[in-house]
Amino acid sequence: MSRVAGCDVGSLTSKAVIMENNKILGWSIIKSKSDPEESANSAMQTALEKAGCTLDSIQYCVGTGYGRDRISFINETKSEIACHGMGAKWLVPSARTIIDIGGQDCKAIRIDKDGVVEKFITNDKCASGTGRFLEVMAKVLDIGLDELGDMTEKTETPITFASMCTVWAQADIIKYINSGYSVEDIGAGINAAMAKRVAMLANTVKIENDVCMTGGVAKNKGVVSTLEKVLGVRIRRVRKADPQIAGALGAALISQSKINNGGSK
Amino acid sequence: MMDAFYEAASKIDSQPIRSWKERGGKIVGYTCSYVPSEIFHAADILPVRLRGIETESMEIADAYFGPYICTFPKCILQLAGKGKYTFMDGVIITPGCDSMRRLDECWRKAGDTHPGIVPDFFYYFDVPHKTTEHGIQWFMEEINHMISALENQFNVSITPEKLQSSIREFNRGRKLLQELEDMRAKTDIVISGTDAYAVTMAGTVMHRNEFTVLLENLVKELKQKKAAKNDKRKRIMVIGSISDDISLIQLVEKENEAVVVAENLCFGVRYEGAEISENDDAVSALAHAYLGESKCPRMYGKYKERLASLKQIIDRTHIDGVIMQNVRFCDLHGSENGLFERDLEKEGIPCLRIEREYGPLVETGRLKMRIDAFFERLYK
Repeated sequence: MSRVAGCDVGSLTSKAVIMENNKILGWSIIKSKSDPEESANSAMQTALEKAGCTLDSIQYCVGTGYGRDRISFINETKSEIACHGMGAKWLVPSARTIIDIGGQDCKAIRIDKDGVVEKFITNDKCASGTGRFLEVMAKVLDIGLDELGDMTEKTETPITFASMCTVWAQADIIKYINSGYSVEDIGAGINAAMAKRVAMLANTVKIENDVCMTGGVAKNKGVVSTLEKVLGVRIRRVRKADPQIAGALGAALISQSKINNGGSK
Repeated sequence: MMDAFYEAASKIDSQPIRSWKERGGKIVGYTCSYVPSEIFHAADILPVRLRGIETESMEIADAYFGPYICTFPKCILQLAGKGKYTFMDGVIITPGCDSMRRLDECWRKAGDTHPGIVPDFFYYFDVPHKTTEHGIQWFMEEINHMISALENQFNVSITPEKLQSSIREFNRGRKLLQELEDMRAKTDIVISGTDAYAVTMAGTVMHRNEFTVLLENLVKELKQKKAAKNDKRKRIMVIGSISDDISLIQLVEKENEAVVVAENLCFGVRYEGAEISENDDAVSALAHAYLGESKCPRMYGKYKERLASLKQIIDRTHIDGVIMQNVRFCDLHGSENGLFERDLEKEGIPCLRIEREYGPLVETGRLKMRIDAFFERLYK
């Protein structure tokens, strides 16, 4: 019996996953705090409580995410690229291309049949095409993030945005609100703008089927369905677990393989 | 041994520059590896390559350049605006690329509001983009113009004999740098990429004779150094946009099991490896050597030659992976890196293509994440 964990300290949220014999025992998603160490502790504690076990019982733990070097209880760190590759592979075994949209970056990753990264690309130092973009836009529209995802299927006439810059798009939205456009048209336009921006990244790594999406934005139905149209491929829905925990899950899976290969705490 | 190189490589106001100035020596700054340093050496002027390190903010440069342009020339202007380059008696701007060419106007204009930042000798040195005979002829004319301008400004005489003697002195250093590159190419690693980059960087700001002596000692020392047995570090090549900041190489080597054994970077051993003819007409020899090799993507129609030369280095130095970086808005390296990646990956050479902001103003977290992920791929 091997009990392992993975912890992903991201820019907006921190996640932890506890696994035993390839099954998820407990997991957590919390809002990241200003101190990454504290974020990690809190995410881990929540996941441990859900799993009904203690930190002592964890045999191996891998850390990932922007705060990975500040996590106190881990055995080693791995890049989120590798972790998302492994996590997505477990969630959707047929996946070869993963589009991960997190709080402050988006990545397109191509993996081989074993979940090992072949090619990847990430955006750079810009909120455009990230979870933060959606968060800002939802706030301007005064709706919840969940509601924003539903907007795409509610209209046939989404707005086209001239710029994907978070600051400019925000000004554009205000202009549309004041011109009397419906929230649905604007919301669907935001989802479409996001999908187009991410499609550009995905095309750069050369898409191979099957495609799946991870990260918090994978929960936005509007972005996923528009992305399918733009890319012309079907995107496999993640059903085995919350797609937002893919990075922490991948970290736990790497921990598991370490134990299986003879490593221990 | 390495301290002297690091002193020159990591500071703008470094010891060699200060002591040259204290002795009453003249200094001319320049912006591009296409400017033949031998000419200044022949005039007993210290040529110092202009750099952007130590930039702390961007308020002056942003006002003249705007936000959508490479940060490297912006950093130079920012430093100039802050008075960090007032030790220069002259500055030479070249059209290395469009952003760099714009430094000419921006710097002159910034002089209106920041008095004293434009030196008396502010010279635009044109460099053709083609290596055709016509291009070489044009480049020779440009070199002759610059020689006359320097002679008039600094009241010196740059004779063919002096030029030839400077070419000989520079060739001594070129041979030594080639020896250093030969050592780096071997599987026994005796010098880190960071150290090697600091050495070549120091060569762009130190007086050549002083540099050659230091280099001679270093090469001698390295020849006797025993390499670590069973070195498992991955051998990396770094290419792409301008980099005058050793921390880029450091970032690759520091926390990873890696050593940078080759690079094709402006400020690196790009042209320095090849010797210049000592017997031909000096100006013609300089023109052919500096313009002829087309190692920078600013040169038209030479992609295939650049790819071939890159592959040759990859084979010779036993490279495990190539990191190709470009400073944001660098069209030249941005597009060429895409082509290199396509052609090298086809041959099974792992490549990492990254876009970054230039140097000192950058948070390295994102860069590090991508480099880490690349090493995970190399070690799989």
